[in-house]
Amino acid sequence: MNAVEVRGLSRSFDGRNILNDVSFTVGHGEVFGYLGPNGAGKTTTIRILLGLLTPGAGEVRVLGRDLAADDDARAKVGVLFENNGLSDRMSATANLTYYAGLYGVDEPAERIDDLLTLVGLADRRDDLIGTYSTGMKRRLGIARAILHRPEIVFLDEPSSGLDPGAQRMVRDLIVELSRREEMTVFLNSHHLDEVQRICSSVAILAGGRIRAFDSVANLTGARDRPAVTVTLADPGDRAGASRVIEALPFVAGCDPDGEGIHCTLSDPGATPDLIAALVDAGLRIEEVRRSSRSLEEIYIEHVGSAGGGV
Amino acid sequence: MKTFSVIAGREMRLALRNRSILISAAIFAIWFPVMSAFGVAAGARGDAATIAGGIAAITLPVGVFMGYIFCADAFLREKRDGTIETLLCTPVSLRRLWEGKAIGVAVPAYVMALISATVTIAAITAITGITVVTEPLLLLHLAAIVPVWIIASTGLIGAAQLALGMRENQILGFLLIFGFIFIILGLQEIVPGGPGVSLVTEGILAAAGIALIAFARFIAGKVTRERIVLTIP
Repeated sequence: MNAVEVRGLSRSFDGRNILNDVSFTVGHGEVFGYLGPNGAGKTTTIRILLGLLTPGAGEVRVLGRDLAADDDARAKVGVLFENNGLSDRMSATANLTYYAGLYGVDEPAERIDDLLTLVGLADRRDDLIGTYSTGMKRRLGIARAILHRPEIVFLDEPSSGLDPGAQRMVRDLIVELSRREEMTVFLNSHHLDEVQRICSSVAILAGGRIRAFDSVANLTGARDRPAVTVTLADPGDRAGASRVIEALPFVAGCDPDGEGIHCTLSDPGATPDLIAALVDAGLRIEEVRRSSRSLEEIYIEHVGSAGGGV
Repeated sequence: MKTFSVIAGREMRLALRNRSILISAAIFAIWFPVMSAFGVAAGARGDAATIAGGIAAITLPVGVFMGYIFCADAFLREKRDGTIETLLCTPVSLRRLWEGKAIGVAVPAYVMALISATVTIAAITAITGITVVTEPLLLLHLAAIVPVWIIASTGLIGAAQLALGMRENQILGFLLIFGFIFIILGLQEIVPGGPGVSLVTEGILAAAGIALIAFARFIAGKVTRERIVLTIP
């Protein structure tokens, strides 16, 4: 059983299709990135998964349950929306104690101490949240989301509105949580760099449809179709080198690009053979560097540079 | 039951920390009864029962209005800030959430109504020299009827605030509060014996208050998570 299963999900508002036959799954323990431009339907998907909105068509399951109909099942799910779910007029401890009461957390004081230390807010525990910075609120929001040790946590744009330092801190925190708490993370984001760094699989949503759904390694070609960039000592040899490379059976594509030659390989283990073929042809090699497509390139390919909101 | 007390306790604490709402409530709780005390004292002509009726007639709308003031902080603010969405993802049922919030704000509203009643009694006693605090029906009114009506108002207004958008809430809030006051004044006028505290008046007010609580529960049962989420600004 997967942690999240979405089958044929559709939803419209005022006659406008926001989600159209969306299907994907998220395995247990995965850090899953749900990508898409603003207005693509990411938050609508999360709201349907969490039972806050009803699907127009299709079926969704989180941990095998329908969260809309099953109050108890929500105890296994954590969530962080953009507003963090915190009251500005209460302290960090009071906010977490409140949610601990709602979730029935055992030994809440100990758990709260542990989490405040984890997110680096132990020394500000008694301060009102209204005095916190945006980054501090977000870190406390993450602590709140995992307070009850959920099996899966949904993070909706966790880095939104944060400076680069705070973004990195939140990113590290998500990785740490996934490792330490062994929970499935559903990350809704349009920070492609962040997703590429921490997610094991992604789905790209645009125009209400899933445009790509795979592991990050497969999507960027790092696993099945690795690529290398060859830089020659003499750039004038590039035409001859390209002819040698194109003739090799394990080369799927060859593209002289700037100072180097970008080669896509059909065999992941063929890089030494490529180097040997060039050396045998009397060509002098300056550098051979593994390269893969960035998630940003994949994203633009599927969504388009103009975005793909509904 | 535990989650109910967690929610209600939090709403009470937040109400006590909201200085602006406390000041607004305190001003209304003191200004309105003091101004009304002169009218009650003049109309009663020294009759203790009539004075007790006047105090009862003032305290009930004040209590209902206090419920309206505190509701805005518990339901509307949570919705405006978006934190309600996180609460809806907890394992707490929507009904339990509504009950906890409605009772949580009813308590400070009731305390304010009692303060208001105390001020009214003190003002009338100072003007007329007549002590009415020992009137059993007035004590029954303050101990039972006022809290029932406050719970009815916080329940109904809270359910409406959860279900409606911000603009609709501004309009409906006033309609509800004036509706409540109209019902109270209407009931006091139509019962046999006219305005004042009597067993019949208190019985009718108790029955109407309980009916309104039942109606509020019915309305709250119709509110859905989707309705709440789609009306978050």
